[in-house]
Amino acid sequence: MATAPKDFRFGNFVGSLIWLIFWILIIVALAGLPVIFIILFYVPLPPINGEVLTPYLFLSMVVDPTRTLPIIKFLIHTDIFRIAVFPGFTFAALLAAATIFIERKFLAKMQLRVGPLYAGKIEGILQLAADGLKLISKEIIVPSEADKPIFWLAPIAFVATAAALAALVPVAPGWVAADLDVGLLAVFAILGFFPLIALLFSWASNSKYPFIGGIRALHQMIAFEIPFILSALSVVILAGSLNLTDIALAQQPFWFILFLPISAFVFYISSLAELERIPFDLPEAESEIVAGWLTETSGMIYGLIQLGTYLKLYVLAALFVILFLGGWAGPQIFPQEIIPGYTGVKIYNPTTVNAIFWFTLKTFGMIMLILLPRGINPRIRIDILLHTGWYKLIVLTFINAFIALALIYGGILGPGGVLTQ
Amino acid sequence: MSEDSNKNKSGDTNTSQSSISSSSSPSKPAAANSPNTNISSSTPVTKASPSTPPSKTPATTTSVAKKEPEPPLFEKELVSQISSQLGDKVKVSYIRPLRIKIYVDPVNIVEVASFLRDSMAFDHAESVAGTDYPKENQIEVVYHLGSYSRVDLGAHILVLATRTNRDDARLPTLINVYKSVEYHERETFEMLGVYFEGHPRNERFLLPEDWADIPPLRKEFRIKGR
Amino acid sequence: MANIQDRIDQSEKLSMEIVKESPDDRLMTLSVGPQHPGSGHFRFTIKLDGDYIVFCDPDPGYVHRGEEKMCEYRNFIQNIPHLERPVIHDSNNITYSYSLAVEELVGIQVPRRGQFIRAIASELNRQVYTLYWLAIYGIFLGHSTMFMWPTGDRELFIDLLDALTGARVTHAFNIPGGVRNDVPNGFKDRCLRNIAYFEKRLKEYEDIFYNNPLLRQRTEGVGILTKEDAIKLGVTGSVLRASGIPFDVRKAEPYDVYNEIDFKVQYMKTCDSFARSYVPLLDMKESCHIMRQLLDKMPDSGEVRAKLQPNPKGPPGEAYRRVESGRGALGYYIVSDGTPKAYRVKISVGSFRNILALPHLLIGAKLADMPSIYWGLNYWPVEADR
Repeated sequence: MATAPKDFRFGNFVGSLIWLIFWILIIVALAGLPVIFIILFYVPLPPINGEVLTPYLFLSMVVDPTRTLPIIKFLIHTDIFRIAVFPGFTFAALLAAATIFIERKFLAKMQLRVGPLYAGKIEGILQLAADGLKLISKEIIVPSEADKPIFWLAPIAFVATAAALAALVPVAPGWVAADLDVGLLAVFAILGFFPLIALLFSWASNSKYPFIGGIRALHQMIAFEIPFILSALSVVILAGSLNLTDIALAQQPFWFILFLPISAFVFYISSLAELERIPFDLPEAESEIVAGWLTETSGMIYGLIQLGTYLKLYVLAALFVILFLGGWAGPQIFPQEIIPGYTGVKIYNPTTVNAIFWFTLKTFGMIMLILLPRGINPRIRIDILLHTGWYKLIVLTFINAFIALALIYGGILGPGGVLTQ
Repeated sequence: MSEDSNKNKSGDTNTSQSSISSSSSPSKPAAANSPNTNISSSTPVTKASPSTPPSKTPATTTSVAKKEPEPPLFEKELVSQISSQLGDKVKVSYIRPLRIKIYVDPVNIVEVASFLRDSMAFDHAESVAGTDYPKENQIEVVYHLGSYSRVDLGAHILVLATRTNRDDARLPTLINVYKSVEYHERETFEMLGVYFEGHPRNERFLLPEDWADIPPLRKEFRIKGR
Repeated sequence: MANIQDRIDQSEKLSMEIVKESPDDRLMTLSVGPQHPGSGHFRFTIKLDGDYIVFCDPDPGYVHRGEEKMCEYRNFIQNIPHLERPVIHDSNNITYSYSLAVEELVGIQVPRRGQFIRAIASELNRQVYTLYWLAIYGIFLGHSTMFMWPTGDRELFIDLLDALTGARVTHAFNIPGGVRNDVPNGFKDRCLRNIAYFEKRLKEYEDIFYNNPLLRQRTEGVGILTKEDAIKLGVTGSVLRASGIPFDVRKAEPYDVYNEIDFKVQYMKTCDSFARSYVPLLDMKESCHIMRQLLDKMPDSGEVRAKLQPNPKGPPGEAYRRVESGRGALGYYIVSDGTPKAYRVKISVGSFRNILALPHLLIGAKLADMPSIYWGLNYWPVEADR
């Protein structure tokens, strides 16, 4: 602090409290009450147990816990909950935040150091909160000749696209924010936005190093989209559907990774390239082009882009789990009833909880596997990258597509196959 | 200049004694991967190191007598090779173990340097130093030449010196003979004001772009406050 | 003098011209300047044609502090602290060479134990510098583990130097006449323990870093500096040894006690960027052998410093001595005029000589090869600027 704080005077303190209460009353009276009345008049409230949900009913139910269960159950099954909380944005963002912290600790252990240690009582667990607060408080510097609308909108578009991807991921049977029949195609369509956003942002930065970084990002992401799609093609051949939930359900007998190891490998490498993670972090090559297309980001814009990147990380790891590792399949380890003999309103569904548990576990494992190359490898060079993406990986995916076709026509998998239940 | 050859004073002989004894073994420089063994050298001018140290004992170790020690045989061979080819274009300043200094006029320096590079296998210049002598109104530019290709010359440094007038300091550049002097000469230009004719870029190198003072290594340039 | 002023003005105009771009020029000018994570305190301007570099112009001088001029204002011994500053983490070598040159001028005989301690400190410093160089090489290639491990292992040697001299970097340990103080108790055992642990770590470095196919792909065949070019450009140090010339000042012109030490000069013949990154590792291994022998052969007792009068001065004359530092041959040319202050001190540093290879190698290379070529030349900007 640059200035000395003023002395504490009790009168001023009481005055500021009264000022605060005054303003709360004004806002509630002028804005809050009209909103409540609009909701009561115009929004159709759901009937619960035959009664309409009025504020009086709501308050009485807060008193009696058994009566709040229907409300919670209702709320959980609304669309808003699915999109915003679980399995939508909040769940994905929490996993992304946990990933950032775990990445730092994991890499630190590999590099013989400790990582964040001081923020928070245990091993720096509040480091993320500290970083978030710091980023929010920093000034956002926009270059004077930058293209301002695109400069401001591109990071928001980045996060929005990553969140749109997260909406397609099914976490448990019936729990997906957007259940599309062509879910897998939609994933690839949305993934195609990212090179465009990177290029637009680097162009809007109006500077040489971001320009080079944007061009590299474009080359890299486009080169690896084709192996990506082709490796998912083998999965579609075996599963017979583009719907992500159906693909996960089709792996009941055996996980697809047993039959499609090469495709899984290609999918893994392509997802590393899409995420711009080491060894594929050319667009952000620090020692050659300062920070690539992220050079001109500062403050919250940088925070948004990091959030978007780690959301994408979660989504691609979750996709790998759904396509190759059987989604949420796993032995049932949660009992049928937590409290034996309870006959009231059921809110605990053992299959769902089991599915969530196994899905999260497998996704975490996959995330660790994606984080691992950062401690092992240097950066790749662009000509080697393009050679790998356009020649080697496409050939490998074709090999595995032929294996998948052979399995189907040989009658081992697919409808009426030997191994299908 | 001639007093330089007398400057192998007694104080110097002490260290030259120790440096001789330490340099006696490397006068037969070893091949890359073998330890320090005495290889039978193919060149006839083998270091007469077993014989030189005793013969070089200075008469006294105090500062009374300034007896000039006998220059080592290998270096004398080198100097006689140079003198026989170039005659009076070079003036030998001193011959010490592993260091030979010759003075050359600016007009002859390119020829002498080419001869040294082609026939004597001194193939690169280690550094270029300029010294300001305001008392004699001259600037001396000194090239230290070394050899990478000839193994027995690896330890020797030939000091090629030339002098030019202080007021209009111009020298022909040696960049066509030794490419390695490019940045050194540029630095000498900006630090001492010596213009190298033929050098592609006589420009500012280390000093800031807005330097507006005399070349700093001249003696009349005083550091502020000293 | 008017002539000189004209030329200075002209050069100022010329240096501004380099970074200008004309609108119909299809080349892009990049200033890899001091504000760049991949350049250090140094700037070079490159022009790109697509992904290939077609022009490179180094522009040092950002850390020029006038070391050579300052030497003329101080005594021989007073010069030691500021002469260390060009390379703070390799400071023992840059003052070693200076001490040798002053001893030749003034006529000082260094006691034997002092010579051994000087050599041990020099070898320890070489390890410290080479590990730092390796760490930055890793980070330039994007390999963060290759940055963390050598930086951690440097502490082994920095701790030893801390115990020996009292400071972690810029030790001010070598003076003309010997070293400032004797080794502490238990130094030899501690040294041997650290060296043994470090040799195991060097094996791990080889496995994890140098046998990594990505690193090999990025550095093999990149930036070829042929043997003839290396000699012509006058490069020195590990760059020279990576081009097939086994030249090491410790072997070619042994100073102090190096003629009693048995070691091999490590060199490679492949002349590419991988060789330039591998030769320092071999040098480090060799340095461990040297340190073991030095510790073995050190006399058990004796003076470490020659007795000098307060302002040592020598008869008028000149001397040129050189030492093998982490970056190559570091030479001092000192002219004395009979007073306690030097008349002219010229420092010939390995970095300044190696930078001549930068335009030669970068032109025609891809932009992505720039970090491995630039840092592979073992260029320390502060030392080159003096």
